[in-house]
Amino acid sequence: MIIRIVLLAALAAIGWFVFLKRNRLPFHIVIVFAMLFTGAFAVLFPEQTDIVANFVGVGRGVDLITYVIEVTVLFVLIHYYTKFVELQRQLTDVTRELAILRAEVERVAPPANADDKPR
Amino acid sequence: MDRHGTWVVIAAYNEAAVIEQVVASVVQAGWHVVVVDDGSGDTTRDRARAGGATVLRHSINLGQGAALQTGVDYAIRRGARAIVTFDADGQHVPEDIPTIVDALADHDIALGSRFLGTVEGATQRRMVLLRAAVMMSNRLAGLKLTDAHCGMRGFRATAAPRLRITQDRMAHASELLKKVQSSGLTYTEVPITVRYTEHSKRKGQTGFQAIRILFDYFFRAS
Repeated sequence: MIIRIVLLAALAAIGWFVFLKRNRLPFHIVIVFAMLFTGAFAVLFPEQTDIVANFVGVGRGVDLITYVIEVTVLFVLIHYYTKFVELQRQLTDVTRELAILRAEVERVAPPANADDKPR
Repeated sequence: MDRHGTWVVIAAYNEAAVIEQVVASVVQAGWHVVVVDDGSGDTTRDRARAGGATVLRHSINLGQGAALQTGVDYAIRRGARAIVTFDADGQHVPEDIPTIVDALADHDIALGSRFLGTVEGATQRRMVLLRAAVMMSNRLAGLKLTDAHCGMRGFRATAAPRLRITQDRMAHASELLKKVQSSGLTYTEVPITVRYTEHSKRKGQTGFQAIRILFDYFFRAS
């Protein structure tokens, strides 16, 4: 089936990207590879996922995968939003300090010529 | 509170058209003025300097809340004992600054109120919108004020650490009132004049932007 080739190629590409520029295997890389192999397994033997799904009380393996993805996406979204807000706060602090510092420097040593035009 | 110990803080973003005139009117009245140019793309910085202000510049545009806080930090660094915030678009008049400063003799915070004072040039629609904003902000902050989100207010330097703005954009006004309510600082409202000009109306907030402000207020609290 074409879909299997596409999915396996995609998983292999992710694996290649993750491994690129790394010569050691940190813990989270190991986890990424474990997930990639699990994905490849599910692509090659889709009916096997039904067994796992049935075990946790879900009818089809596809449904189980959908649920797991939904929760994962939400987690990642919130995680990065929190990071984003924190980064924004740090950027504000840095910009503020820079503005005050520049004003203090100019007060002690005024610029010789006014060529520092705003961009 | 004397004039010497008071710093007027103005946050400006792309206000080159009016900032020089606004700054000059405050400087000529004898006040220290610090303008925070919030990453403007025009000549706001040069115009503000020409008006006689100390000018700070944010390298990037962060928002009005961030700019005001930068100005407050700088003023306190320079030894300010009282801070008065003033809008860059020319809607406030320098004659109201002494009223705010006088009120700081008895209170930690003095909030300007256009509804206790006078409003010039506002349309009926804007007045309705403003009244709604007052109700909304009183609900949010748990205060009973006659005006909300008036850009003209003053506070003592000793109150500044408890009034730190963390909302970079427009939600800082609601944030400040919330802090006024929870800090236990004493506050009062003073009548001021607000003059809406064609320029200030163009730069002002629209009803739709209120949604963004509410989002920031509820989901960006850090």
